[in-house]
Amino acid sequence: MTLTRDCRDTLFLLATIAAIVLPHAQHLPLWASAITVTILVWRGWLAWAQKPLPGRAVLVLVLLASGLLTWLTHRTLIGREAGITMLVMLLALKTLELRARRDAFVVFFLGFFLVLTHFLYSQSLLSAVWMLVAVWALLSAVVLAQMPVGQPSLALAARHAARTTLYGLPVMVLLFLLFPRIAPLWGVPSDSVGRTGLSNQLDFGAMSEIANDDSIALRLKFEGPPPPPQARYFRGPVLGRFDGRTWRPAQAVSGLFSIDALQLSGTPLRYEMTMEPLRITVLPLLEMSPEQPGAELELDALRLKRGPELQWLAARPITERLRLNAVAYPGYSAGAARSPASMEHFLALPQRLNPRSMAWAAALRSEPRFAALDDRALPTALAEAVLQHIRSADFTYTLAPGRYGEVTPHLIDEFWFDRRLGFCEHFSSAFVIMMRAMGVPARIVTGFQGMDADQQDGYWIVRNSNAHAWAEYWVAGRGWLRADPTAAIAPERVNLGLALRPQSVGFAGALERFSPALWPRLRQGWETLNNRWQQVVLNYSRQNQFDLLKSMGFNQPDWLALGQLSAALIALLAAAGGAWTWWLARPHDAWSRQRISVLKELQRLGVTATDHEGPGRWAAHLSERFGPRAETAVRLLQSLEQSRYAPAAQALDWRGRRRWLHEFRAAGRMLRSKTR
Amino acid sequence: MGQNNIYILPSRPGLAFCLTLLLLLLASINDQLSLGYMLTFLLTGAGLASMHSTHGNLRGLSLDLKAPQPVFAGEDVQLELRLHNGGRARFGIGVHVLGSPDAEIAWTDVPARGHALLQVRLPAGPRGLQSLPSLQIVTRFPLGLFRSWSVWRPAAKVWVYPQPESPAAAFPLSRDGGETGEIALPSRQQGQDFEGVRQYRRGDSMRQVLWKKAALSLEQGTPLSVRETQAPAAHALWLDWRDAGSETEARLSRLTAWVLAAERAQAPYGLRLGAQEFAPDLGPAQRQLCLEQLALA
Repeated sequence: MTLTRDCRDTLFLLATIAAIVLPHAQHLPLWASAITVTILVWRGWLAWAQKPLPGRAVLVLVLLASGLLTWLTHRTLIGREAGITMLVMLLALKTLELRARRDAFVVFFLGFFLVLTHFLYSQSLLSAVWMLVAVWALLSAVVLAQMPVGQPSLALAARHAARTTLYGLPVMVLLFLLFPRIAPLWGVPSDSVGRTGLSNQLDFGAMSEIANDDSIALRLKFEGPPPPPQARYFRGPVLGRFDGRTWRPAQAVSGLFSIDALQLSGTPLRYEMTMEPLRITVLPLLEMSPEQPGAELELDALRLKRGPELQWLAARPITERLRLNAVAYPGYSAGAARSPASMEHFLALPQRLNPRSMAWAAALRSEPRFAALDDRALPTALAEAVLQHIRSADFTYTLAPGRYGEVTPHLIDEFWFDRRLGFCEHFSSAFVIMMRAMGVPARIVTGFQGMDADQQDGYWIVRNSNAHAWAEYWVAGRGWLRADPTAAIAPERVNLGLALRPQSVGFAGALERFSPALWPRLRQGWETLNNRWQQVVLNYSRQNQFDLLKSMGFNQPDWLALGQLSAALIALLAAAGGAWTWWLARPHDAWSRQRISVLKELQRLGVTATDHEGPGRWAAHLSERFGPRAETAVRLLQSLEQSRYAPAAQALDWRGRRRWLHEFRAAGRMLRSKTR
Repeated sequence: MGQNNIYILPSRPGLAFCLTLLLLLLASINDQLSLGYMLTFLLTGAGLASMHSTHGNLRGLSLDLKAPQPVFAGEDVQLELRLHNGGRARFGIGVHVLGSPDAEIAWTDVPARGHALLQVRLPAGPRGLQSLPSLQIVTRFPLGLFRSWSVWRPAAKVWVYPQPESPAAAFPLSRDGGETGEIALPSRQQGQDFEGVRQYRRGDSMRQVLWKKAALSLEQGTPLSVRETQAPAAHALWLDWRDAGSETEARLSRLTAWVLAAERAQAPYGLRLGAQEFAPDLGPAQRQLCLEQLALA
């Protein structure tokens, strides 16, 4: 059965829209996916059965309903998630209103937008390929809409779409390389959704499994030997507030004694660091860089400020690659002079939660061995006791602990007593809660810990999978002390700096069992490819642009040079286009060109000769005008007539033509000078 | 059509596309999306390339026009255009009268190294020898973001005859000697008046042949006999300006109707337009002559 043109085009467009919306399904609310599928199927059926489209009233009703549902789901209509939901609904509804060509264009443009929004969630190689295919299909639909007659095949339209895109490819590459990468114009890019690594909050047990992100986060080059494994902590966001589920940064408290003043000792460690565009709002530097809280740091267009808890905070997510020289003092004390009164918010516990943990902590605290200890020795002893418990009880370190808090609001209880499965965030959270329950101020520090065992091109590599969470507790007079409960349960994670690496499951696991040699190779190849993609495409930044300029011979790569290069390229392209047009427009046979030259010369001599006459007639005109004086030119024209029209004539080759024209012009010059 | 006479401008969707690109670029900058940049620039490149494709879709196309058939005022002139293509296949080529709405565009595809026929209808203007209006050849292929067009002014002219009166009035009385012309139109139209028999002459209609006597004639070797229904030359019908009414256009309409009726009735007719006089005759040439004179009158 063959479909009518209209039906087939509509079904193709619907399939394309489905392909664009599909990757959004995982973060769209369920009702939105359901409505979208319903509308698309309904529209497809209408096209199939050649039924009329529904009236406007239905559309308005559905639109209002989805607006309401969006508001109920997201509590707003303008945020990112809400915006995407509405965009999907609009796109689906618009397919029910494809009446004029304008409507089709609206669908296309909405489609392009939706493709872009997908990149907010994933910019992986796979989604890039998927979206490329989707854009191709969308462009094919555009082409189809421009073929009003007959029943052109989809393949034909697809070919034209591909051809047009291919012709545009050089423009794309040039723009991509040279379009200035500027900082966000307003607002801040929100943290990339679904990305592992550092962020400003930590949901206890929300992640049932950590995705393994092996991409590079930091590259380091040390002057001298690298720090020992136990000192490879890169300080990121510090989280002090816990509501029972989520850790957030402590609210800023002002005052001289509520900041962590630094006292440094030991030998400084100098190093150079390059940070990939991680899109985080902190700069993770090796503990401990010497600046006091409140200090500022200018890096290119980025202003960083040292927070009261010694983290380096940026005003916006860092979306460019940074390179800087830094110093770290492995021996330091922080916040030793703080008043115990300013510690209140590091002692806060979520109300009425985790009763068993509270009881356990109280029991530990009241053990007689702690009774004799003073304020300086007690916290350390308590911390050691908690760590000892972690070591000795049957806790298991795993990257796939499953979700916590599904059945009980007492998440810490669930971890500490019931399941005892977890990774760094579980252990450090529980540690901090226990310390607080025993009256010791404590907080969570997130950041990176450890690095690759081997150098790469002279650089030490810290990967996103090195992201880590540890704890700090406060001792009067000594300041904040680092405690890493993960080291208690999985010392190799900390001492060797092994990155998180989950067990292969599902298909990958099956393949690994089936062919132990093949799977790692495949995986390695894929990772290399993905890494290359990440490096070359996704992390292409201003620095790369300037590097490119440098390699092209600009000594001082800056915006001006970039502008000059762009202008030069545009001029070059325009000139090439002009030359091409001129080449197309000029006559393509030698005879036409020769006649044009001859006519021009005759015109200069004041002879009215026309294009449709031959050289013989032109010769006649010439001798009419000048008489015997024009003899040379007339003879030349007659010889041209001979060479062109005489029987068995042999047309002149290009050398002959050039010589002839030269002589003819000389004769013309002579005539003009004589006449004057 | 070449570089000198093809024009190109962004279409309305093209402008909307620019706006979309701008929004995409803003989103890419604000969210620092490398792939967003890539998508934006990919679409930009495709849009720019489509500008050249749209222009190229017309470049090198040539047109010619079949001489248009004469029409009566109030009818549509039907133009038959031929589009010649020496290059590769072209799609979505439209032709319409310059200034007419887009809905009236006649679309066609032109195969590679071939030609396509296209019919364009346009309302005939007032009577006379009318020059054809300028035609616009337009295309939006492939992406519809640009509209490329060229204007063609065909050299051919079209005869627009006066609108025939309907229903046609009866033939006039002849002013040429009283004995002729009291022939009423209806009997003429039927052509069944039996007025005599004569020998077959070349050009006689088959219906006039007396077939009942044909076998006999053929056997005897004599020519066929035909029924004589035509008035003899002396009976020629004179269509006269003065008989046709009072108002100029009404007169011309009536005369036109008479010419057509006389042709249908196979009655030789002459035409008098004031001082001009065209001798009675019959046939396509006479019809054309008279109608053209009426168109110009």
